[in-house]
Amino acid sequence: MQDKTQEKTKTQVLTREENELARRLRTADKPLTVAGTSIGRRDDPLKVTGKLKYGADYSAEGFLFGKILRSPHAHALIKSINVKKAQELEGVAAVLTAEDLPGRNGFGAIIPDQPVICGDKVRFVGDGVALVAAETETIAHQALKLIEVEYEPLPGIFDPRDAMAEDAPKIHEGGNILSDDKMVKGDVDAGFAEADVILERTYQVPFLEHAYLEPDTTMAIPQPDGVMLIEGPMQAPFTTRRNVAPVLGVPINQVRVRQIHMGGGFGGKEDSPIDLSCRAAVLAQATGRPVKITLEREEVTIQTAKRHPMIMELKVGVKKDGTLTAFQGVIYDEQGAYASLGPKIPPAGGSHVHAMVMMPGPYEIPNVKVDAYLLYTNHPYGGAMRGFGAPQVHIAHEQMMDELAAELGITAVDIREKNAFRLGSQTATGQVLSQSVGLRETLESCADRFKWDERLAATGWVDQAHTKRRGVGVAMGWYRTSIGTNGDGCGAAVHLHEDGSVLLYSGITEMGQGAFTVLPQICAEELGIMPEDVRLVKPDTDLVPESGPTVGSRSTTLMGNAIILAARQVKESLMDTASMMLMVPTERLDAKGRKIYDRENPDKSLDFAAVAARAMAAGKRMIGQGWWTPPVPSLDGHTGQGSPYHVYTYSTHMVQVVVDVETGEVELEDYVAAFDVGKAINPKALEGQIEGGVAMGLGYALMEEVVLVEGVTQNPSLQGYLVPTMLDVPDIQPVILEVTNELGPYGAKGIGEMPNIPATPAIINAIAQASNGRVRRLPADPERIFWAIKEAGGPPQD
Amino acid sequence: MAKRTIELIVNGDRYELAVDPWRTLANVLREDLRLTGTKVGCAQGDCGACTVLLDGRSISSCLTLAVEAHQREVTTIEGLAPSPDELHPIQEAFVQHGAVQCGYCTPGMVLAAKHLLDNNPAPSEAEIRAGLSGNLCRCTGYNKIVDAIGAAAKKISDTGKEA
Repeated sequence: MQDKTQEKTKTQVLTREENELARRLRTADKPLTVAGTSIGRRDDPLKVTGKLKYGADYSAEGFLFGKILRSPHAHALIKSINVKKAQELEGVAAVLTAEDLPGRNGFGAIIPDQPVICGDKVRFVGDGVALVAAETETIAHQALKLIEVEYEPLPGIFDPRDAMAEDAPKIHEGGNILSDDKMVKGDVDAGFAEADVILERTYQVPFLEHAYLEPDTTMAIPQPDGVMLIEGPMQAPFTTRRNVAPVLGVPINQVRVRQIHMGGGFGGKEDSPIDLSCRAAVLAQATGRPVKITLEREEVTIQTAKRHPMIMELKVGVKKDGTLTAFQGVIYDEQGAYASLGPKIPPAGGSHVHAMVMMPGPYEIPNVKVDAYLLYTNHPYGGAMRGFGAPQVHIAHEQMMDELAAELGITAVDIREKNAFRLGSQTATGQVLSQSVGLRETLESCADRFKWDERLAATGWVDQAHTKRRGVGVAMGWYRTSIGTNGDGCGAAVHLHEDGSVLLYSGITEMGQGAFTVLPQICAEELGIMPEDVRLVKPDTDLVPESGPTVGSRSTTLMGNAIILAARQVKESLMDTASMMLMVPTERLDAKGRKIYDRENPDKSLDFAAVAARAMAAGKRMIGQGWWTPPVPSLDGHTGQGSPYHVYTYSTHMVQVVVDVETGEVELEDYVAAFDVGKAINPKALEGQIEGGVAMGLGYALMEEVVLVEGVTQNPSLQGYLVPTMLDVPDIQPVILEVTNELGPYGAKGIGEMPNIPATPAIINAIAQASNGRVRRLPADPERIFWAIKEAGGPPQD
Repeated sequence: MAKRTIELIVNGDRYELAVDPWRTLANVLREDLRLTGTKVGCAQGDCGACTVLLDGRSISSCLTLAVEAHQREVTTIEGLAPSPDELHPIQEAFVQHGAVQCGYCTPGMVLAAKHLLDNNPAPSEAEIRAGLSGNLCRCTGYNKIVDAIGAAAKKISDTGKEA
């Protein structure tokens, strides 16, 4: 089910830097043989038989079990702490408080503002105030109960807008505004003056839990040579190492981090492993024994990072014909108690910066002004979750587009068609979209496959009794590849052996997305061998080059490029050798299907393995190293103008729903999601990303919310925190379009997060189209839908 | 409380074990028998990752005490394939249909599907969705799992092999 779209006829406008980078990647124009095919995932047979080991499956014989004593208060001073009774309990090896720590008492993916153990103050319910290591988990639990802590509760902040008040209690010494950024383009006042219709709306989204099925677990294992080995499921082994070393007070090279296959991550296992690894490491260092910390499900919900809640105020102006004239927005991005992944990393990293850049949507708007605030509160902290700021703002701008269309009496598709980005469009940051812009194509393909016009005309009552109405919804989206920081480089190494087999060294982690299948595919394509000839060395900071974290939809693209560059170094050895063997100039040689052959006379060929053996014997280079950094991002700190991200993935989703207007219940009937992915390296794995992302967006729309009262999580278990089941998810038809990315491996761009993003507003818009019930505060559960219909004066009367 | 001696028949093998009476079947399978293919996602019966078959019926092993399984037959994911070199048709279908991503829910899904097909060899799509609605998956969006189970049902009935 692939539609190919050719962008060749349009003129691309690459910058000089982009041109130079693209030149480095360009391959001879030959058909791909391995990349672009749906080879099976390599670890599937191990997974369906239960043989694949996850973190919790490793034997913990000889290990101590670590536990964290958590604060019951959202904001309080620690007056005293007495651990004597806990220390005396038989089977307890160590009880640590803040004063026992050897190194830096702080960790964090970006700013180390979260104490490993709180000394004087706690900032959320779940903050760690003491650590225990014991011979069994039961003893560790008992020891926690024996620790006596005296708190002096402080007033807490539970709404990010309250955090900005002059007299608000300070959660951190530097104040509650962690970051504040601005984006200004044109003149919004002039834009509003040109508008025929101006709407002002506020949209609000809650904390979301990743709900990966595998609870977090970490092992810290002291090695005989003094090195601290950390093993566990994690998305960012290098960030973990960068934190554990200073906490232990040792250089980075004294910590070794090995990733274990993850049972789901979705951004959540970017920073929770930092937390657990630092804590397990200090216990292991104090006792000299291996320590394992495994979280229970409720602890995962209470302690680990969440998707940032946001309050988003929008004011948008539009002309009668649907042309947008001005967009003004304010984002109150709630960071919670600690900085985690939230704060700005120049020039364009950070959750509120990303939200700010994406907030006006994938539309040409001449006048834009957005203010974004990242604010501390006494809630759990916000981190990355499949879209990092983008899902939230898409919920706002995509609802606003529908509200504007309704006001103008035009269709939801018409208003999007009028304003959608095309090649050469200028974004709200002033960036000219120089290449690979397939947004309009996704709208056309999606509408075509979904039969939008027919379905729109057929919406209305489903039953005689007028209790259920059918409706349709659309949403568009855009998402960056990579993370917009200056240091987003990615390294790979390729080791060719004399029998033609290859070891591929990459620090990109596997969490179910398929990286361990797709990355060898790219390596095999470049060398002209088969994917099974490439064995991937699992991420281990002692072995693999720095690759950065597995986040930001960057893996296939950035690591793919690094692999291509690494593979080319050994390919040069092969081609030089084959040239001598065949007496054919290297320019005429090519490789595929384990053969190296003369393009002009394909019968003249050599076995890949024979050439590898000869190259090795001749002392040729057998190890290639590749490093890829995307074009340097820019974003002015005062105006928010620049080119923050080098390429974007685009998407349009359409959905049909039936709303019971008497109960507020929603049933999803059909779903089409179209994407411009640049190039599908493994179409089947890509479809899996699409279907899973849509299902997660459905949860955001209809049911998911971490409910907090005075900072206390009310629904920490999966009984209270609902995620979609098999009964909730409709048929999803993915449509894959390929508008080549000149800066990606074989034209690919990122796809991991994009499918999650337009899904939520598409569903919310369909509910409103069906029932008049517009839910601006998520989730749109039956009760909110019911009241939204009432507020609108009832469902459409036809 | 004193330990109880129990007899478990797991994947056809008989084990005599002394266990604390409060320990769950999931716990004993994973820790005492090192059958770690059974996953624990919530330990409260909400997610279905720990699904095993007890006398052929699918249960949450995190909600079942090991002593309750005394002298009963337990099938875990390790016991499903007919031989070490082969896969059960359900396992094979999961691989072929791309029904696996992170894989943490997969053993439970496969065993819940086995229970379903044993009782309903030709389920409709709606019956598959209802039958496995107690097993959560956060990665796949479920549709490829539904496809896989439908295909496995067809293959089992076509080849006449017992599911």
